[in-house]
Amino acid sequence: MRDNEPPTPLSGARRKSLGRRLLGATAAALSVVLATTACAVSGGGADGAGDKTLVIGIESEADILDPQAAGGWVTWRINSQMFESLVTEDLTKPSSEATVPELVPGLAESWEISEDGKTYTFNIRQGVKFHDGTDLDAAAVEYNIRRMWDESSPQYSAKAAGQTVFVWQFLEDVKTLDDYTVQFTLSQPFSPLLRLLAQGGGGSTAIMSPASIEKYGEDVADHPVGTGPFKFSERVRGERIALVRNDEYWGTKPKLDGVVFRPLPDASARVAALRSGDVDMIAVPSPDSVESLVNEGFQLSEGTPPHVWYLSFNFEDEYMKIPEVRKAINLAIDREGMAKDLLRGTVNPAYDVQAPANSAYTKRTEAYTRNVEEAKRLLASVGLQDGFETTLATSVDGSGQIMPAEMGEYIQQNLAEIGIKVNLDTSEWISYLGSLAEGAQEGQGMVQMSWGMTTPFWLYIATSSSLKAPNGPNYGYYDNPKLDEVMQKAILATDEETANKYWQQANDIVVEDNALAPIVNDKAPYILAPYVKGFVSPSEEWYDLKSVDIVEE
Amino acid sequence: MAFIGRRLLSTLFVLLGVSLVVFLLIQLVPGDPARAVLGMGATQEAVEQIRAELGLDQPLAVQYADYLGGLLQGDLGRSLVLSKDVAEVIGPRFANTILLTVAALVLCIAVGVPLGIIAARHQHSVFDRVAMFICLAGASVPVYWFGLVLIGVFGVTLGWFPTSGMFNTRNPGGLPDLLLHLVLPAVAAALVPLAVIARMSRSAMVDVLNQDYIRTLRASGLQERSLLWRHGLRNALPPIANIIGLQVGYLLGGVIFVEVVFGWPGLGQQLYTSITARDIPVVQAGVLFIALAFVLVNLLADITVNLLDPRTRRRSA
Repeated sequence: MRDNEPPTPLSGARRKSLGRRLLGATAAALSVVLATTACAVSGGGADGAGDKTLVIGIESEADILDPQAAGGWVTWRINSQMFESLVTEDLTKPSSEATVPELVPGLAESWEISEDGKTYTFNIRQGVKFHDGTDLDAAAVEYNIRRMWDESSPQYSAKAAGQTVFVWQFLEDVKTLDDYTVQFTLSQPFSPLLRLLAQGGGGSTAIMSPASIEKYGEDVADHPVGTGPFKFSERVRGERIALVRNDEYWGTKPKLDGVVFRPLPDASARVAALRSGDVDMIAVPSPDSVESLVNEGFQLSEGTPPHVWYLSFNFEDEYMKIPEVRKAINLAIDREGMAKDLLRGTVNPAYDVQAPANSAYTKRTEAYTRNVEEAKRLLASVGLQDGFETTLATSVDGSGQIMPAEMGEYIQQNLAEIGIKVNLDTSEWISYLGSLAEGAQEGQGMVQMSWGMTTPFWLYIATSSSLKAPNGPNYGYYDNPKLDEVMQKAILATDEETANKYWQQANDIVVEDNALAPIVNDKAPYILAPYVKGFVSPSEEWYDLKSVDIVEE
Repeated sequence: MAFIGRRLLSTLFVLLGVSLVVFLLIQLVPGDPARAVLGMGATQEAVEQIRAELGLDQPLAVQYADYLGGLLQGDLGRSLVLSKDVAEVIGPRFANTILLTVAALVLCIAVGVPLGIIAARHQHSVFDRVAMFICLAGASVPVYWFGLVLIGVFGVTLGWFPTSGMFNTRNPGGLPDLLLHLVLPAVAAALVPLAVIARMSRSAMVDVLNQDYIRTLRASGLQERSLLWRHGLRNALPPIANIIGLQVGYLLGGVIFVEVVFGWPGLGQQLYTSITARDIPVVQAGVLFIALAFVLVNLLADITVNLLDPRTRRRSA
């Protein structure tokens, strides 16, 4: 095939013209490329970064910057710097000082709850301005509530409503009483309401500038306008979200000039970026890098956020129906070993179904400390001394999941010791969320999930019979009328003490019945450069950056 | 010209096929976009409401027809997650990817082709063997791992280059800053195609150098340099151009990983995020753009071969 004819010496002129044509084509192609990239270059340039700009390497690209419609803690950690809710949590104290963050006034200066627990009157803070210069008043608050709740209002957003459905489930009406007073009317008392107003992650009730919603419509997420200590500067998707200090902030003004959040999805790349000085702080370091980073002089900051990594038993499974089997599994799992050896101390062993950052938390070492002999005895007592085979479903990645596949394997080994052969069924995060929403499948004895809240109401979402999958996140179809009754009492309680008493009872029931198997609580480790001062890891999944400073030594 | 016309027409069909395959493939992936939007606390009712709003409750055929209809009018649709037009999401990302790809490609050609030619010239020499061994090893290295090694050595230990992003975060510095950020990702992306191009260039050149006319020219006293670069290379160029065209496909695939490792805000990174969120319109448009780039580059390669090789030129004339 390679019988190429040799070029004849006479074809010189032609060769030149060919050369010129090639050159022309290349030049044309190059200029097109340069033109496109020039656009790209000009897009990435300008930024209001000042002297004290904190750069944070975060674990994934953030969702939209519309706080009511966005999902996930990663995004709320950014949105919560720009937006505020009526009620908020005091995140200036570390977990060691406040295991449950205190509820404090946010955009509402104060509030009154009627004796029947059905009317909430909020006095809106005066003199607060949105970043666009418009005033915060009662009408602005009502406008926002209607965006999340009132289908007939023009600003209604189905996404915002879907994210905040639990907050507004009993809301009957919202009224502006005067310039700075808003009133909610509920159809029944709902004790978790205030705490839910302060939440973020799965949708928050943060107040956005109505003017910005009117102006930008569907694009409002690209122009976030709130009242918070930081203002939006720019977002380059995949590269950065830059915020600058809000000098008109009504509360304590931040020390930093600005913050930049940079998505770096790869854990090793995040650690490298921190070591090279490209970022000042990183989220979720790989567990095996923490020790060496600390030895190199980086700071480790950890807390006890409301996070539980847990298994739901499938109550439609022939083995898991048996209380002794569930108890045996809870006793066979080596939580301390997993926390110490596999996860290198980046988590704590879980000793309750509720997270420690929760008023209903009770530490129960006995129920959740490994006891293989007792576990074997329990299995033998129901004739299962030879064990059985079952499946544990989990994901391979995902927000708050830590290292789900490895943790699943650890549990697999633990349960093999009492004769239970566990098959692991792992899938990618969104696929997993989708199949889990349908509930535990036949043959899946246990399904895994991880989240939590600072309100004990979380237990209701995870175990109430009214929220059995596919209607809600009760994935194992747990159905206990006694539990439902107690939780109902907690919800209807009109004072916090009574509510908490019932939540603790509910907690006892779930533990005694072994409806769930809590495994570990994440410590949400952050690694900071030595010159970053004042960062606090509170008992929440997000943080306050007002007190953070950069002090070059 | 007829040749180019025919190729353009077939390109159109290829893209149509790609759009259909991508559309169907995404339907096969488990996971519901509405569920992805709302997260784990979602109630069934809220999910249904979002599905209806996004048009996901329509039959598949209707969804595809809508999509194709929009596509023919230049409308790529709207992102399910970002509430933005897909073109707005993909456009800047694609430009960034092209920048990275072109930089890597320039490296591949500027290093790979001469390396292959010199190795061919000194066939079986120590240089040839070492170079080709390195190329074989290079072609077998996972891009992802190589990227991390580059970051570790040149970013962290030596501190010569930034480890991620396109611009310095604290102090963005225009073009020089961009070029500095471009070095490591471009090298990471270039490694495998460079190795393949070098090996293929070598074998194409070896073939040519073994031809009778080269021996004749050498016998007639032509200088080695002129023999190699002027008479040898000209005849080895068509297969080399072909292989470069094909390697662009590999390059575009590798760039996806490079972008994730280096935090480069390109199309690959956006696709990674969008696939994770089941943002179907963005994924479709992204894949379509990559297919378009691949097809166009190969069209360009074919045209180049056509110009380079007098025989194909005469045939198509």
